[in-house]
Amino acid sequence: MTAQALPSARSVVAKPVWRDWVRSPLFLKGAAGIVLLLLWEGVVRAYAPAYVARPSTIVKVFFPVITDAQFLAAAGATLWAVVQGLLVSLIAGTAVGFVMGRVAVVEQGLRYYVNSLFATPMVAILPLVTLWFGYNADARFAVVVFASFFSVVISASDGARSVPLEYLEVARSFRARPLSTLFDIVLPSSLPYLLAGIRLAAGRALIGAVVAEFFVSIPGLGYYILYNSRTFKDNEAFVAVMVLVATGVGFEVLVKWLTRRYLPWSRRD
Amino acid sequence: MGHQKNWLRYAPITASLVLGAAVWEVAGHLTSGAFWAPLSATLKSLWEVARSGVLASQGMNSFELYITGLLLAIAVGAPLGVVLARVSWLRVALEDYIMMLYATPMVALVPFILSMMGFGFAPKVLVVFLFAVFPVLYNTIEGARSIKLELVEVAYSFRSGEWELWRDVIIPYTLPFTMTGIRQAIARGLVGMVVAEFFLSPSGLGQMIMMGSQNFDTAGMLAAILIIVLLGVGLMDLGRFLENRFAAWRGYNR
Repeated sequence: MTAQALPSARSVVAKPVWRDWVRSPLFLKGAAGIVLLLLWEGVVRAYAPAYVARPSTIVKVFFPVITDAQFLAAAGATLWAVVQGLLVSLIAGTAVGFVMGRVAVVEQGLRYYVNSLFATPMVAILPLVTLWFGYNADARFAVVVFASFFSVVISASDGARSVPLEYLEVARSFRARPLSTLFDIVLPSSLPYLLAGIRLAAGRALIGAVVAEFFVSIPGLGYYILYNSRTFKDNEAFVAVMVLVATGVGFEVLVKWLTRRYLPWSRRD
Repeated sequence: MGHQKNWLRYAPITASLVLGAAVWEVAGHLTSGAFWAPLSATLKSLWEVARSGVLASQGMNSFELYITGLLLAIAVGAPLGVVLARVSWLRVALEDYIMMLYATPMVALVPFILSMMGFGFAPKVLVVFLFAVFPVLYNTIEGARSIKLELVEVAYSFRSGEWELWRDVIIPYTLPFTMTGIRQAIARGLVGMVVAEFFLSPSGLGQMIMMGSQNFDTAGMLAAILIIVLLGVGLMDLGRFLENRFAAWRGYNR
């Protein structure tokens, strides 16, 4: 921090180029990555049984697994369920949230239910969901929707409530129809809130899908992990974890990028 | 007059709660017992487990697991985050990996924990810990990254030593961010607790839900779920309170 505080003073003194290079973020991140992988490899080799996943053995199974039809089907099933569930939550949740945000009676009536169901760990209702939908893909879909719906509702209603009053007054002065007020003012104005809500919802949806697969034993990445780790194929199972991590990180990055690219005025990050 | 106004303000909320309770009750009578149980049956079942001491012992079991994991997560995440706040090269090196772990659905690691550590208290604590630690760490680092250089420079101008710098600048600056992390950790830790109780050795409130579902005792299951919902709401309020309590001096630079 002191080094950053006095950049001009430092750069006056000539110093070897490699020192700059070592201090570059890219080098630091890369080196940290290598150190972490070596640490993982070393610790597992020294202390854990042979079946425990470690980088060198994961690399060996990575391409066979990632091109395996069964694995691809599992990944597709999970991700498709997450996307479908998110879409349903997004549309229905936005609708409910907007009504809550603009109509006080609805807000007062639903607030407690939405807040408490948002705070409920969705795992807890898994047994109930399986009672209702049976041990099949519908149960997973229901869990994904349940996991993501309420965070969309909350962020949509926050967004709708925070629409600047002047915008609505201008709309009324120009005799805007309710629908165009909704689509041209309320929706764009609450987009930053919605995006933040979707970011949260996506993470929860992914967890919901995996947990549902553990519980219900239907084909998908979660079940793939469970099945393979039970038969001591931890390396294969870990490839599925990597896909989940990539999905989670990918979504995080995508939403951040969308916010910066299309909603530069929003300061919520 | 004032009394009446108060009454009017709470009327819609009261009406919605009463309506909700009525719908719950009626739905229980209209559907088969395996689908849904009436509110009265649920409350009766809740009363029974409370009276027999099952609720207290299972609740204590869950609480022990939850609090151990959560405190460990805070004890590891917060200091590590503050250290990364000061040692900027280490922060640059590690922050992307921590972001990655923050975005990782930790449930996916549960089967590995099961196969490596088996049943027992330690693996369950590990699950709660993993769910809770990364929000704390991630948010503390976010705070650290936004420490203004001017503040550090002023501290140096006034000849602050390393210890004063920590006490007066770094820790007060990152604390509100850490609190945001702790709020998230409180919620995620609860999910971790239920996951651990479901998928590792069954215990606590998770086991109560499972047993209710396996014995087709829907009222018992709903009673346990109701407890978890109330816990979730209470803990979320606690988290918000903590965050607001320590957010007083945040935001002056936003």
